[in-house]
Amino acid sequence: MAATVSETGNMVPVWAAYKSDDSVFDEMLDLSLNPRSGCEPVTDALFSMPSAYFAEVCARADAMFRRMGVTFNVYGAADGSERIFPFDPIPRVIDADTWATLEAGLIQRVRALNAFVADVYGEGCILSDGVIPRDLVLGCPQFRRAAVSIKPPLGNFVTVAGIDLVRGADGRFFVLEDNLRTPSGVSYVIENRVVMTRLVPALMRSCRVRSVERYPADLLQCLMEMSPTGRSKPTIALLTPGPYNSAFFEHVFLSQQMGIELVEGQDLVCVDRKLYMKDVHGLRQIDVLYRRIDDDFLDPLVFRPDSLLGVAGLTAVLRSGNAAIANGIGTGVADDKAVYAYTPAMIRYYLAEQPILPIVETYLLRDPEVREHVLRHLDRYVVKPTGASGGYGVVIGPQADENELAATRKRILRDPSAFIAQPVIALSVHPTLIHTGSGSGMQLMPGISTFAPSCSWACVRACWPAV
Amino acid sequence: MLRRIASHLFWTARNLERAEWRARLLDVNYHLLIESPPRDAQPWAALLAIFEERELFAQCYPTDDEASIINFFALDTDNPNSIRSCINTARNNAISLRHYISSELWLDLNTLYLNAQEWTPEVFVSPGVFAFFADLKNSFYRISGIRHGTIPRDLAYDFMEVGIMLERAEDVARMLDVKYHFLLPLLEDVGGPIDMLQWAAVLRSASGFEAYCKRFGNAIKVENVVEILLFDPTFPRSARFSLEMLDTSLDRIASQAPEPSPPLSQLEDLTALMRSRRSREAINSGLHQFLVQIQDGCAALGDEVFQRYLKSD
Repeated sequence: MAATVSETGNMVPVWAAYKSDDSVFDEMLDLSLNPRSGCEPVTDALFSMPSAYFAEVCARADAMFRRMGVTFNVYGAADGSERIFPFDPIPRVIDADTWATLEAGLIQRVRALNAFVADVYGEGCILSDGVIPRDLVLGCPQFRRAAVSIKPPLGNFVTVAGIDLVRGADGRFFVLEDNLRTPSGVSYVIENRVVMTRLVPALMRSCRVRSVERYPADLLQCLMEMSPTGRSKPTIALLTPGPYNSAFFEHVFLSQQMGIELVEGQDLVCVDRKLYMKDVHGLRQIDVLYRRIDDDFLDPLVFRPDSLLGVAGLTAVLRSGNAAIANGIGTGVADDKAVYAYTPAMIRYYLAEQPILPIVETYLLRDPEVREHVLRHLDRYVVKPTGASGGYGVVIGPQADENELAATRKRILRDPSAFIAQPVIALSVHPTLIHTGSGSGMQLMPGISTFAPSCSWACVRACWPAV
Repeated sequence: MLRRIASHLFWTARNLERAEWRARLLDVNYHLLIESPPRDAQPWAALLAIFEERELFAQCYPTDDEASIINFFALDTDNPNSIRSCINTARNNAISLRHYISSELWLDLNTLYLNAQEWTPEVFVSPGVFAFFADLKNSFYRISGIRHGTIPRDLAYDFMEVGIMLERAEDVARMLDVKYHFLLPLLEDVGGPIDMLQWAAVLRSASGFEAYCKRFGNAIKVENVVEILLFDPTFPRSARFSLEMLDTSLDRIASQAPEPSPPLSQLEDLTALMRSRRSREAINSGLHQFLVQIQDGCAALGDEVFQRYLKSD
């Protein structure tokens, strides 16, 4: 029988101060502060820890991350400074049954999204059949004309996906958004696990946590299977924007773990529709490029002409089938916020299955009736620009003041297609040590790599309190 | 190996070596002063001359007092060759090498870098010049030891070795030049006690004092100092030793090319130059000229290595 907070509260003053709130879902403790299913080993361990130990655990974790160099760069910081990744030592538990459902739902979703990208840049059946409005897709800012009729090996466009999940007030998981361009974060999951295992080995063992260690090997397998040249040992390279990119740590980590070359645009050159890297002893051909830079910077001949991050001629190489790229060009068309509204329809259309994971109810403001309704009750909705990702430009109605709402209204009326509205979701909370005593809104960000037959894999991408 | 990576390896190693020699020079100059008569306060100015950094220094500091010069050589990031700048450059190159070097090497280098950001002129008061440089020298030894103990003997090791040995050959020549050409303006002092004290200091700054005593006994003779620092094939900080290591590494690099490449002409010239002289001849025919030839040869060889292996456009 697990101890409850009320029984042991006097032992651990930090926990005694823990408040429950019935308007949100607490992932670890129910309303009477009993641990939820699967969380007992964690709560037991926490309750038996002297409270002074909490600070020590945080400090040790901090020191470990700094020593390991697990950092991310902050854009715009004058000194180009590196921050260590914010880490909270209280683990977030997803029990095996819940995970099995999530995993099936994520795999289903990414299969459908990949089929959609292949269709949009191929025959366009879903558009001809009127399941998704053609103008919504072709007018999407992430639609890339240059990707039309590029046929990647195995039909693999979305090699790596990052699907963001949230839990509502009833504890149910929803898909919040899809990240299909160059999703990042998996290295932090793997390094977090290393740190957790060193910090609290006994707890980790008693939880019987599923390993996340295989990710680099699985991803490498996916990339190797994509090689179009049929060479027995394909040359694979990871294309990074360089050390000043916020995710550079991850680029280094993955290339090292996979044993592939980490290249920058300046290391590459295209000759006779083949892709090469500049070796000390001459040019070496690349078969598969795992790119971690956006479409816009990939090829100055096709996209932004001022880009120094990519390599001129890459699109022609891909079109000739002399190299493959992951993720494919133009996958962003499937993570557009307006296209998101049609993802359940996509799953039914391509897979003839019912969606396992629900999405958040989404209103397209290009529809005049919907628009009128939302504009009248703007203070009740979350408004998001369709093209952006990662929370950019999001306005949360109940938290916005009159001026913000008026400005948002104006922006919507100027270009209604560029916005969607969603009801406000009370995000689930979880106890943390960093903000002691109060919960923080949570997002689960699993990553998934697809399509190699041996390789339907998913894991928790990161657990940290959403700010 | 990518040309860019080879270049990062080369510059990481070379800047660490440069920082180490600067630290050695500052250290030895400082200790020289403790036992020198007051009129010999110009070793500091001599350093500026030998590194051709007088102009840059004058732009940054009003007077050439000891504190200013130490600050300029050790801490000043306006000086691209200060110890701190070299450590910064080494570390900034190493950022792109995280997947090529061992994590131990990165951690130690990064720790040195983080420490260097904390340095203020107060470190020369407390823990004091001696402790500061002793500690710093140990940091460099540790990094060198980790490199030896953890980096596979492949291209990564060899491109670092090329950077180190090129810098070392050049710096040891430059250090001899500091003493020979600048430190002793008064002719009557040559061969006197101050002269000997200074030669011993030069040996110590190259960590060569014990090696010298072992080979020649502890009577300091200019000819023998030049012999051990330039021509000794076994002393690891001699110019000859450095050039031979350089030769070996460049050979190994070339041997991995898919097609044989012509030898580097500047390397052949340099080795020929070293073989053509002994220390007595080098001194008699003008040591300064000889030292300048070594330094110029190293610069030209560096350029040749750059053109063949490192340049990427």
